Amino acid sequence: MDSERLHTMKERAESVQAVVSHVRDMSEVIRYTIDLMHKQEGSVLAAPGLSDHDQVFLWKECEAEAIQLLTSPLRNHLSEIHTSLTYADCGIAETGTLVLDSSSEDIRIATMLAETHIAVLSASQIYADAVSLEEELTILQKSPPRYMAFITGPSRTADIERVLTIGVHGPQELHILIMEETEK
Amino acid sequence: MIQTAQDMKTYKKQLQESLGNSFLRTSLDNFGSSYKASRAKAFENLDFEDMRNGIAESKDAALPRLEELLEQFTGNAEKAGVKVHFAKDAEEANTIISDIAKKGGVKNIVKAKSMTAEETFLNAHLEKDGFKVTETDLGEWIIQLRNEGPSHMVMPAIHLSRGEVAELFTTVTGKKHEPDDINGMVKTARRELRQAFLEADMGISGANFAIAESGTIGIVTNEGNGRLTTTLPRIHVALAGIDKLVPDIKTAFRILKVLPRNATGQAITSYVTWITGAVECGASPTGTKERHIVFLDNGRLTLAQDPVLCESLRCIRCGACANVCPIYRLVGGHKHGHVYIGAIGLILTCFYHGVENDRAIIRNCLNCQACKEVCPSGIDLPHLIKKVYRRVLDADGSKPVKNMLLSTMLRNRKLFHFFLRRAYLAQLPLSGGGPFIRHLPLLLGKEHGFRSLPAIAKTPFRDQWNTLQKQVSSPKYRIAFFGGCVLDFVYPEQGKAFLSLVQEQGVQVEFPMKQTCCGLPAMMSAEEETAKEVAIQNLEAMDAGKYDYIVTLCASCGSHLKENYPKMFNGEPELESKVREFASKVIDFSSFMVNVLEISAENLGSGKKKVAYHAPCHLCRGLKVTEEPRKLLTDAGLEYAPAEDEDACCGFGGSYSVDFPEISSEILKRKLDNVEKTGAEVLVTDCPGCVMQLRGGMDRRERCIEVRHIAEVL
Repeated sequence: MDSERLHTMKERAESVQAVVSHVRDMSEVIRYTIDLMHKQEGSVLAAPGLSDHDQVFLWKECEAEAIQLLTSPLRNHLSEIHTSLTYADCGIAETGTLVLDSSSEDIRIATMLAETHIAVLSASQIYADAVSLEEELTILQKSPPRYMAFITGPSRTADIERVLTIGVHGPQELHILIMEETEK
Repeated sequence: MIQTAQDMKTYKKQLQESLGNSFLRTSLDNFGSSYKASRAKAFENLDFEDMRNGIAESKDAALPRLEELLEQFTGNAEKAGVKVHFAKDAEEANTIISDIAKKGGVKNIVKAKSMTAEETFLNAHLEKDGFKVTETDLGEWIIQLRNEGPSHMVMPAIHLSRGEVAELFTTVTGKKHEPDDINGMVKTARRELRQAFLEADMGISGANFAIAESGTIGIVTNEGNGRLTTTLPRIHVALAGIDKLVPDIKTAFRILKVLPRNATGQAITSYVTWITGAVECGASPTGTKERHIVFLDNGRLTLAQDPVLCESLRCIRCGACANVCPIYRLVGGHKHGHVYIGAIGLILTCFYHGVENDRAIIRNCLNCQACKEVCPSGIDLPHLIKKVYRRVLDADGSKPVKNMLLSTMLRNRKLFHFFLRRAYLAQLPLSGGGPFIRHLPLLLGKEHGFRSLPAIAKTPFRDQWNTLQKQVSSPKYRIAFFGGCVLDFVYPEQGKAFLSLVQEQGVQVEFPMKQTCCGLPAMMSAEEETAKEVAIQNLEAMDAGKYDYIVTLCASCGSHLKENYPKMFNGEPELESKVREFASKVIDFSSFMVNVLEISAENLGSGKKKVAYHAPCHLCRGLKVTEEPRKLLTDAGLEYAPAEDEDACCGFGGSYSVDFPEISSEILKRKLDNVEKTGAEVLVTDCPGCVMQLRGGMDRRERCIEVRHIAEVL
């Protein structure tokens, strides 16, 4: 992994109020999620898109920590989600952006309606810039239906007197957990 | 409701109201300064010129084939389960959308920000048809609640103070909101609008891109409302101008790299969403989203055929032309546009919202080129504004008296010069032989009193030429001196200063007597035929082949001769090459001194004085000359004290200052305030027009800061 690219990703994401941490494996991801939820007094988690193996693991931990893990379809829980945990498909270092294939409605609902969004980004999936993603995105878009999301920091507005304010419609916090190994 | 003035008298009244709004002015002023800084930071280490050329090129390639791109887009989108519609005008677009809602049994609609929907007045149409429409972009929601139009394309509620928003939110929610708790107000919007999202059956958005090769739309947002609008309701309709079609994602990325940087100084917005086809949707009875895309023509396809004005369709809606406009900064978007605001708004209004709404606002341009400098698609906005102004005049079939006078005078050089000479005699009772006219001529009202008008010189430069000209033996350069009207008839001493500087440097100067006004005033009044006629007179008066350079001390003349002349004769083979040769020889005073004569410090006087500098619009932006005059000042031993906003317009703009004295005087006031802050003894500039404005303003202040042309201080 190009360490400069990793550094740029972190720096750019932090410059737009994302919280960036490094994790080694999924158990650290789950620990991070649960600790953060406790801290924020959140008790409902949506974690769509995780692998079956990770789901089982997460399920057990949530049970032990008195956190409710929502089941699909998330549309039945639109007003309940406190935190969402998802993978990011890739990152764009140049702008500190996460790319999430959000064609699944659960992914969309989880990442849009949660107060806090935690995204796991594999370090090996960080691209230097958007241009290097051109080809891949074109291929994806040519196999519709497709809903691709570029997410850069939490939701923001400056519509009242141009004062930057975080969290108007989307998540109020975005946490990026960069995983050095490629396992998901 | 939007109330754009349809005549000058109403417009003037509206402008006065805005000028009296001190919150607006302070707010837009702060915005102007912070925008400049954040934009510069956003483009750090990037080649803006290269990026904008790329956008211009892609847009120019797409415009002639919009219909073909539409067909390709439609094919791909429909294959992916989306219904594509084409609306020839605003009414048709609104009807299509309303019909979709009726057919879908819709009651509640949420909207993400769309300038195109503002253009068609979609909300009013849907509400009339009985639908409840909620704008979900915070700024749009605020102006919807106030029943206003947007005052900026990117920040629709920038004209409102936190106090006004707090009051509004208190009324709407019944709960007290404190002006200083902006975070609290944002959370109120989050709560209230979340409910609207959950209740909505239909979402309407715009689109920043429509990618033909895959039938994808791209939406650029910060708040996240665009994502919710396209996700939660079972039906989604995107309304987009047909000019949003691009061939591929490569082009979309090219634009995306510039759009947020130029709009708000962000490298990218929080969210960029790419939607292709009908994705799954639990709220829909079929399990998939009902998605429609409505492409709006509303004159765009016709505009795309216009060889000159088609350039306006390159616009990517970043709003930067307003951000840097000195007039917008004073009066705000509601008075500097109709639905679309700022420089591009002055242009598009004529085509999308009719001549009547453009009639007054189209005249409110200084031609300072600030918008052109920041436009990410390389649109020559000031030039197009004059072209559209002409259309408005033609459509109305009547012209201001000023236009008739100007055309008659300028076309006949002898008559024009005769008039100027007579003016010296006529003004004597007003000037008492001094440098200023001490009493305003009767035809000017008291709003013109913000600056003293200069007296016409007793002997114009051309009448002194015989005694001034000198034969230089084996000259290094042979040049033609283009005086320009203001230097020739008001400030001949500037010409004399120039001669004494260059004649001793081995330059053979000639002053072709048949030269006349450069024609810019005619161009500014949209009298292009006159401008061309005058240009031909100058081309005939000065055989460019005979000279190494054509030097002028006037930045405005210089940039008009160099840039507009070739533009005016573009596509006229019999004159094109002659004009090109002529334009290639035109050079401004400072560049000539520094780059051609390579004048050294010892050949310049040693001034010692503390000087401030005003960068004329047509020099720093028109001719892109910035280093040379400053180098001359320091080489001459002068203590150069940089002023704030040195490159901001002085408010002159030729006849602009006569048409809009209330705005001209405010712009001048800022300029002079900034100069005074430097503690300079002399204010130097390199345009006789600017000298006239600045000196006139200084005289009214009764300050002892002298105003000089740079040729006079070296």
